[in-house]
Amino acid sequence: MFTNQNFKSLKWCLLVAFLLVNIVVNAQERKVTGKVTSSEDLMGLPGANVYIKGTSVGGSADMDGNYSVIVSEKNAVLVFNYVGFQTVEIPLGNKTVVNVSLKPDTKNLDEVIVVGYGTRKKSDITGSVSSVTAKELTAYPTLSAEQALQGRAAGVSVQSNNGGEPGAPVKIRVRGGTSINASGDALIVVDGFAGVAMPQPSDIASIEVLKDASATAIYGSRGSNGVIMVTTKKGKPGKPVIEFSNSTSVQSVNNKLDLLNGEQFVAYRKSFTTHTDGGANTDWQDVIYREGMISNTQLSFSGGSDKIRYYVSGNYFNQNGVVINSGIDKYTIVSNLEADLTDKFKVGLNLFQSKQNKEGIISQTGAGGTGAAGVIASAYRFMPDKGIYNADGSYTTTAPIGDDIDNPYATAMENILETISIVNRSNFFASYQITKDLNFKTTLGLTDNNSQTGRYIPSTLIAGKNIKGEASINNTRFSSFLTENYLTFKREIINKGILTVLGGYSYQKNKNERAYAASRGFLTNSNSYHNLGAGTVYLKPESSLSETELISAFGRLNFDYDDKYLFTFTARRDGSSSFSENYKYGTFPSGAIGWNISKENFLKDNKTVSNLKLRASYGATGNPSIDAYSTLSKFAEVYDVSGDVIVNAVQLTAINNPNLKWETSYQQDYGIDLGLFDNRISLTADYYKTITKDLLFNRPLPGVSGIASQLQNVGELENKGWELGINTKNFIGADFTWSTSFNISSNKNKILKLADNKDLLINSTPGHFLATDSQILRVGQPVGSFFGFVYDGVIQQGETVLPGNFETIAGGEKFKDVNGDGKLDSNDKTIIGNPNPDFIFGLNNDFTYKNIDVNIFFQGSEGNQILNYTLMELASGNNNATTEVLDSWTPTHTDTNVPINAARTKRVTSRFVYDASYIRLKNVSIGYSLDDKVVSKMGLSKVRFYISAQNIWTITKYPGSDPEVNYLNDTNSRSNTNLGLDYGSYPNVRTFTFGFNLKF
Amino acid sequence: MKKYIAFLFLGIFAFGCSDLEEHPVGIIRPENFFKNTDDLQAAVNGSFANIAHNNYWGREFTIALMLRDDMADIGDRTTQAARIDVNDMNMNDTNALVANFWPQSYIIIAAANQAIAGAKKTPGDPAKINAIVAQAYFTRAFTYYHLVRIFGDVPYIDFAVNEVSQVDKLSRTKEAEIYPKIIADLEFAKQWLEDKPKVKAVPGKGTAAGYLASVYLTLGNYQKAYEESKFVITNEAKFGLGLDADFQDLFNATKASTLKEPLFTIDFNNLVSGNYGQDYTAFFTGSLKDDSYSYGQGFSVAVPSLKVFNDWDKRDYRRAVSFDTIIRKKTGPGGALQIFPSSDNEKAPRPHIAKYFRFPGKAGANGRTSQHNYITMRFAEVLLTAAEALNEITPGTTEADSYVNRVRARARNKAGKLVSFPANVTPGLSQADFKKMVIDERRLELAFEYVRWYDIKRLKNGPEVFGPNGFEPHANFNPEKDYLFPLPGTELAINPNLKPNNPGY
Repeated sequence: MFTNQNFKSLKWCLLVAFLLVNIVVNAQERKVTGKVTSSEDLMGLPGANVYIKGTSVGGSADMDGNYSVIVSEKNAVLVFNYVGFQTVEIPLGNKTVVNVSLKPDTKNLDEVIVVGYGTRKKSDITGSVSSVTAKELTAYPTLSAEQALQGRAAGVSVQSNNGGEPGAPVKIRVRGGTSINASGDALIVVDGFAGVAMPQPSDIASIEVLKDASATAIYGSRGSNGVIMVTTKKGKPGKPVIEFSNSTSVQSVNNKLDLLNGEQFVAYRKSFTTHTDGGANTDWQDVIYREGMISNTQLSFSGGSDKIRYYVSGNYFNQNGVVINSGIDKYTIVSNLEADLTDKFKVGLNLFQSKQNKEGIISQTGAGGTGAAGVIASAYRFMPDKGIYNADGSYTTTAPIGDDIDNPYATAMENILETISIVNRSNFFASYQITKDLNFKTTLGLTDNNSQTGRYIPSTLIAGKNIKGEASINNTRFSSFLTENYLTFKREIINKGILTVLGGYSYQKNKNERAYAASRGFLTNSNSYHNLGAGTVYLKPESSLSETELISAFGRLNFDYDDKYLFTFTARRDGSSSFSENYKYGTFPSGAIGWNISKENFLKDNKTVSNLKLRASYGATGNPSIDAYSTLSKFAEVYDVSGDVIVNAVQLTAINNPNLKWETSYQQDYGIDLGLFDNRISLTADYYKTITKDLLFNRPLPGVSGIASQLQNVGELENKGWELGINTKNFIGADFTWSTSFNISSNKNKILKLADNKDLLINSTPGHFLATDSQILRVGQPVGSFFGFVYDGVIQQGETVLPGNFETIAGGEKFKDVNGDGKLDSNDKTIIGNPNPDFIFGLNNDFTYKNIDVNIFFQGSEGNQILNYTLMELASGNNNATTEVLDSWTPTHTDTNVPINAARTKRVTSRFVYDASYIRLKNVSIGYSLDDKVVSKMGLSKVRFYISAQNIWTITKYPGSDPEVNYLNDTNSRSNTNLGLDYGSYPNVRTFTFGFNLKF
Repeated sequence: MKKYIAFLFLGIFAFGCSDLEEHPVGIIRPENFFKNTDDLQAAVNGSFANIAHNNYWGREFTIALMLRDDMADIGDRTTQAARIDVNDMNMNDTNALVANFWPQSYIIIAAANQAIAGAKKTPGDPAKINAIVAQAYFTRAFTYYHLVRIFGDVPYIDFAVNEVSQVDKLSRTKEAEIYPKIIADLEFAKQWLEDKPKVKAVPGKGTAAGYLASVYLTLGNYQKAYEESKFVITNEAKFGLGLDADFQDLFNATKASTLKEPLFTIDFNNLVSGNYGQDYTAFFTGSLKDDSYSYGQGFSVAVPSLKVFNDWDKRDYRRAVSFDTIIRKKTGPGGALQIFPSSDNEKAPRPHIAKYFRFPGKAGANGRTSQHNYITMRFAEVLLTAAEALNEITPGTTEADSYVNRVRARARNKAGKLVSFPANVTPGLSQADFKKMVIDERRLELAFEYVRWYDIKRLKNGPEVFGPNGFEPHANFNPEKDYLFPLPGTELAINPNLKPNNPGY
């Protein structure tokens, strides 16, 4: 596959060849030398093309940008050009030394964009594709490239599943969630290998996000959530380039909740119940928060000859989380090799290996009942009038108030939760240019992801006390084998009409294995989970295996007439083993047209409009989230005891469904690309509408079937929205440049159809809240809508209370009689909030002044709401509370919305739904590159220092700890419906970074 | 170069020629499962496993049965509302206990149906196959017998469900049509089950006959009830049945394996897998504030009214076994246990049920995940059934007296010491007096053993026992409504053919 870099280097190779044949030294002629550099970083441009205007005489620059040309004409004009830069012509006169600094070409239309199974010139693209550059991905240190995508591409929303937790999974949604129960994750394709883990941001050359059906249909049944195409860095021919970069960051918690101190807490409790003063005054947030640290180091070697190119890098990322006892470290090695065996035959190998150790703490627990509270939630809940230890040295617990939980310090320090993840991936390719027009490429990839989670609950904690410790080890292994084989044919079939045809075949086999062992009853806590045999009670071991196969044929046809009229037709036929008996194969077609109006005669020479293109596409893509064997009827082995002996027992747990299909999304997209003033201003806007049919849904079955539910195709979902991206070169001067990029997108999500069009209630409240529902799926409403009672303020003295209102005393909570039947009951529950934003946006500004570069990046979300379970819990009485209760109703303080202090049922009401819009200064960085002369004296080619800060400034009205929050987002069904929830998440962080890059 | 290309193309065909058939290795498929009688036994065990489940005998079903009668009341009234509603005759169609044990009942039945269908595919000696599959006929009958008594008319499924369309539009089968099917299943079980299975968790001939007797008693067919119970009593030794010497031993988990009295047990052994093997009865019945045992305090959910305790003759050893009258707190020097009256538990200041909390064997926190093998029917019940049935056919027989006397004689063995209470039955009682006596004997002998509510329902004496002079007055008891539970509303919503719900819901 050609990447931007390959393309450049290929061109360079050809030029070298060209040079070799053309150098004929003539004694009469004079030699002109000089250096071609980039005006951006003053680096030499290896392979820059230098020739005498009107002739074919010339050459190209060497690895450092130095060139020499033999000139015989007197009034020669030298032409300098280089891909991606503006061409410069210089009349030679008598000069023998000409140094030239080329400015980047703002007309970046000929940029090459990676699409599935190939590349396209940006100007020829008919689909909707966003590109993110290496520079944007590495603007600030992140553990994963997913995180670095936030705010960078229109229509792409990125959120951490657990605040600032080191190694927290990141959720990416391209143009909204197209599903309710199936995965909404975009397909990640790294160097042509589909469905694998992303490399480190610093190893990535570019990321393209394929958004509309025209772009994603080449990935067929896996395309409906968008495709993220990642291209890793490759070597370029020339002298070895050694790059070393290092950054060190310090992190602190973004925002603490304002909670009662010990004294206030005792007074609060005593205002409604009996309470024995614990005598201490502990700020539990201070106890568990600390200064976090990140260090990120990367060393890479790249280079090559005209036949072989290499890129090898090693990266070490280490993070101490801002919560005690949490952290991560990760080692990554990347090696990309390419060799031209002959002019026509090329082979290459991409290797990737990473090892990550995560030291976790318990957070975002699904239930926080007895002994089960997470560290963060308990730091909020736990009584501030208690200390860490009892007099006898044991840890304090909340007994006798509410569910008995450990204090947050004990939970953080005593629990052991370690995850080691290892990824090994290799991807081999070979390509052969069969004829001038026909190329064949084959790839063969293997990946192996191993993960082990070790857990130990010691006897010092409530959960481990009675059972004398519990240790467990969970091992999972995912391996994938993929081969892709395709032919590309490109020829001008009629005058000005270029036909490109791609046809291919692929086969992928995935294997998932799992093994789990656990035991209880340990003499000592010191063995952690490393000696399961030392337990006295062995828990049931588990293991499983599942395999899936995917066979596909795919094709794409592009026809470009005179660069003005562009047509793309794409289709993929996927056959999957996990699909049901009657629907083993699905076909996913799409088509798109583009019209480059600016190439028409009437606009060709227009001074204002430098580029204008209209695009339209329509197509079908799929979401195959059908697990292996899930369409088959199944017996599961269940636990059974007969006469105190465990015996084999099986029961039917699934009825086969021979008609289960993948979800299909039908997407239409209309786009416009506009460039003004020589593309100083470029704009891309898209409108899209996606209808997803045959939603995969676990439909509840009648209880009499003996099976709780069955995965069926029911329901329809609509996502529609618009996206706008604007890039401007505001100022281009010799010393000073300023460029801005802005993207904004809006997506509206709506359920069109459900099983029998019945409302479906979802309960995402933490288990110990004992609530029954919190969200609703309802036709006509967005997925994730909050559902509950409408809070109507405080009951004032003498006020008549609605029959059925939970509280009747003055100062109690009052709820609205929504259906107006004169009483309050469950029929008065209604939709009380929408977690989906009206729009999300990112605003990036880059400034350079001489050797100084500055980046300022804002990112934000508007109109989304959050249902905050943390605040709901803190308002329930049997915990610590926020300082809000200092404003609670009393007979003498009646003008308030905060009800009288009391122990309350945790009830889902509009009282805990908040506007969570925000604007955030995501990154500010200032860099300084040492002057070239100084650098070369040091034997280096580039030195840059920078300092940066992330998340330092946020505008929001959200009263929770941070508006960028998620709760229980980890499974497919939850990740689509559990939106805008906040409970005990790892806090978000602000970061200050110092770093430097060296280039040898 | 051509040969390289050929090589590459070869590559394509070497990989990825697949029929896309799934070949699950780690998963058991019903289609090809039944290869021998061990497989069949595993399928049968699937039904037992689902009885020993949180949603059935472990927690949700049994707590409902226990609370519904006049012997166990709610202790701590801050417990789950669904439990209080069952106890207080305040149920509606959203009751959380019903929502759990209704589908669980059908999971047990589905497992039995799978085994019964699988038996037809199992190769081997038909007699051996019948002996195993007869256990599934028994569990199916056992579960429907509970279902019809709780809900009345229910959907009746006696086939292996292979497609959703087979069941999603079913309507309710009349109770009167289900009973003959229960009897037929039990007859099959009685014909083929072993005389004396190795463990009490496996039903035998006597178990099937004992349940037939119970079914006939419920139906008022006293002749058949007498015949079946008599059959069990006659074959007592052959079936490995009888009365155990010490009443306390019946409720001591560590002695469960030595007992002869149970006809059928639901076995737990302190280990769980999710909701399988999860039991809460000790947890529900033990007293809050009572630190007597290593597994911690109980939760005082089901606690008899004081009248139940006070009314029970204090000389009766069975009262001592059935109740704990004290609690122990760690208030002594160095946390030593000190004894307090049960009234010191202010949430439920009354003596608590001791049958489950006192000797649960090894148990998890608060007595959950015990080692109890819960007895669903024991020989004493068969004796009392025989006595009651015979009295209906021929009042005043010494034979009927003798069955009750056997039960009372055992109760006089007070942990090895013979006492005089309870005395033998006064011979020559009238039919009505005998009936009253034997029903009350059942109430005490089988207290908190999930029999009493069914007795109230079959005798239709709710207005009396829940009346002002009853042990647990519920002025709102409505005989038109409260003898049946409501079907879950969610089930009616999924399948409207089940509508209307039971009267009053």
